[in-house]
Amino acid sequence: MFNRFRSAVIGAVSGLETNGSAIEGTQYNKTTLAPKFPYGRPHFLGLGDDEVQMSADHKLRPVIHPSKPLPYETGYAECVNAGKSRWNEDQAVYRQGVLSKTIQNETGTVNKFSIPYTYYGIFDGHAGVGAALCAANQLHHIIHEKLVDAQDDIWIDFNKKNSAKTKPRDLLIIGALESAFTEMDQLLLEDRNKYQAAGGCTALVALFILGKLYIANAGDSRAIICKDDKFIPMSMDFTPENEKDRIRRLAQDQPILLGKDFTSKEYLAQPKSSDLGKTVMFRDAYMKGWAYKTLQPDDLKISVITGQGKRSRVMGTIGVTRGFGDHDLTDIYRKTPIKPFLSSHPEVQVHKIESTDDKEVLIMGTDGLWDVTDGYKAAEIVSKSVNAFEDKKYVGAATCLVGYARGSLTNSWHLKSGKPASCDDISVFVIPMLPYKLEYQELVKKCVPNENNDTSTNNIDGHTNNVH
Amino acid sequence: MSYAYLFKYIIIGDTGVGKSCLLLQFTDKRFQPVHDLTIGVEFGARMITIDSKQIKLQIWDTAGQEAFRSITRSYYRGAAGALLVYDITRRETFNHLTTWLEDARQHSNSNMVIMLIGNKSDLETRREVKKEEGEAFAREHGLVFMETSAKTAANVEEAFINTAKEIYEKIQEGVFDINNEANGIKIGPQHSPTNPSLPGTGGSGGSQGSGCC
Repeated sequence: MFNRFRSAVIGAVSGLETNGSAIEGTQYNKTTLAPKFPYGRPHFLGLGDDEVQMSADHKLRPVIHPSKPLPYETGYAECVNAGKSRWNEDQAVYRQGVLSKTIQNETGTVNKFSIPYTYYGIFDGHAGVGAALCAANQLHHIIHEKLVDAQDDIWIDFNKKNSAKTKPRDLLIIGALESAFTEMDQLLLEDRNKYQAAGGCTALVALFILGKLYIANAGDSRAIICKDDKFIPMSMDFTPENEKDRIRRLAQDQPILLGKDFTSKEYLAQPKSSDLGKTVMFRDAYMKGWAYKTLQPDDLKISVITGQGKRSRVMGTIGVTRGFGDHDLTDIYRKTPIKPFLSSHPEVQVHKIESTDDKEVLIMGTDGLWDVTDGYKAAEIVSKSVNAFEDKKYVGAATCLVGYARGSLTNSWHLKSGKPASCDDISVFVIPMLPYKLEYQELVKKCVPNENNDTSTNNIDGHTNNVH
Repeated sequence: MSYAYLFKYIIIGDTGVGKSCLLLQFTDKRFQPVHDLTIGVEFGARMITIDSKQIKLQIWDTAGQEAFRSITRSYYRGAAGALLVYDITRRETFNHLTTWLEDARQHSNSNMVIMLIGNKSDLETRREVKKEEGEAFAREHGLVFMETSAKTAANVEEAFINTAKEIYEKIQEGVFDINNEANGIKIGPQHSPTNPSLPGTGGSGGSQGSGCC
């Protein structure tokens, strides 16, 4: 997460200094506790220790991809930052899982069903590598448990039996994702004094299950669906600027959370002591419009949200408002806890993949990609790569995306256009969506013969919910 | 395992000349007969011994395809050695050497040791480029030359190790500034107190990956 911390900003301006930000250094030296998970790169990259060292070469910033293909030709590529932290603080994971259900109908016939799902996650760490490693190692287990909890009701939902006692399938899967995110954050809270300081991380998860794609996002990584040169956003960025209302209202309702230095009010310009007694424009957290007030000493406090866009901060410190961890994060000067303003709650978007064709791909990227690439550019790069390569299309596309955002190094890292390139860690999945549609159709087909025998038990496709 | 020096290599040359196979033969001692297109870059590491000193080689194997050229150029930076590879059974891969060499000279440091490699020496019957031609090209451009076979492993060790010997000699002669990492050389952890190891593994970055020692 580039420039997320004020201290990181200072160290990162040159983009070429090694040894990381002040926050990261302090946290690693401060404690003798072991990390919960050792540092490494995503398992599917299959890197040994030597290669992990090589992957963190800040001078080369190698664009790394899996040497063995991922399922359904899914592409992935990553590269390390330009020197803001020693290690790549992004993590990525994919998993394929199965929910099973055995059903005995009235005639005594036992049918066993398997619902396959595929899970992708990317986690952008800050202030250390710990939280992202925990999420990459644990979140999929939690999500699986939550889905198992819901699988009977998901099944009842298919059969449209007892529907009064359950909820539509979408809401059950969304609920599984939401509660898993809360539990992941809770786990980091419980671990905070048992393991080395973990820092925090954002989380962006894609779950393909039963003909739909569920995107759960907490943070500023981003998912889009591309087709040729067009794209649909599948997530919104949770930055202080975008979550200004939520955070300022929370601050206004619970002013004790603000400590001594911060205010929930917003002023047209940051008031200075020389302005005392003057009339200034302000608004409180619930106001849409602006009003006037005479400036009092209390108004000289700093707004809880400052800056704009990528530079916006909560309490002058953190530039992302959702994710996991950060349980010990405080503002730099007065050590006021920041965690109460952060949320682990994801926004979940649902996308039906029944009309997907072979041109539709899902791109998931950390902000290292999106800082210098918009949806149009990403769609263009992917469609160009997919057409250019006969083999390894999507790995090639992911490599080209990361290569584009990383740029090349002369005096500093720059794009082909000469504009500054991304100096952050960059991680990207490029996921062709057609296989998930075919997989689902296959699953439905398998149930058709049974459906003739007992429609009510085995119909899993008649259902159409649209939460979107 | 600790090392006295670390050298970075880059392998370049047209697509299909056997760059990845040379790396695989050197790091894993095996041959992959089916051409598997390299995307961007692959990499590997291995420890060798020169003058009874342990030297770690970090090798960047680049894609020969034009589409990745802008990505792969960045790997010239900080390379102490380059293996410039052509295929003795395909004349055009030899004809492109000048372009590769220009690219290498432009993007690398001037002291980089370049080893010219005519690969696929096992395919004598299909040879299109005479050994003498390779030797002449190398002489003309100040390169070291060798013919290799990634398939039979002939000269593969020698190609990587002789390049390292050249670099090592240059260090002894004081040509390389070993304190400047941009030269693709790093002094090993026992000589340098600041080498960071992986957090949490307690390891010293020893060779457990694709290395064979």
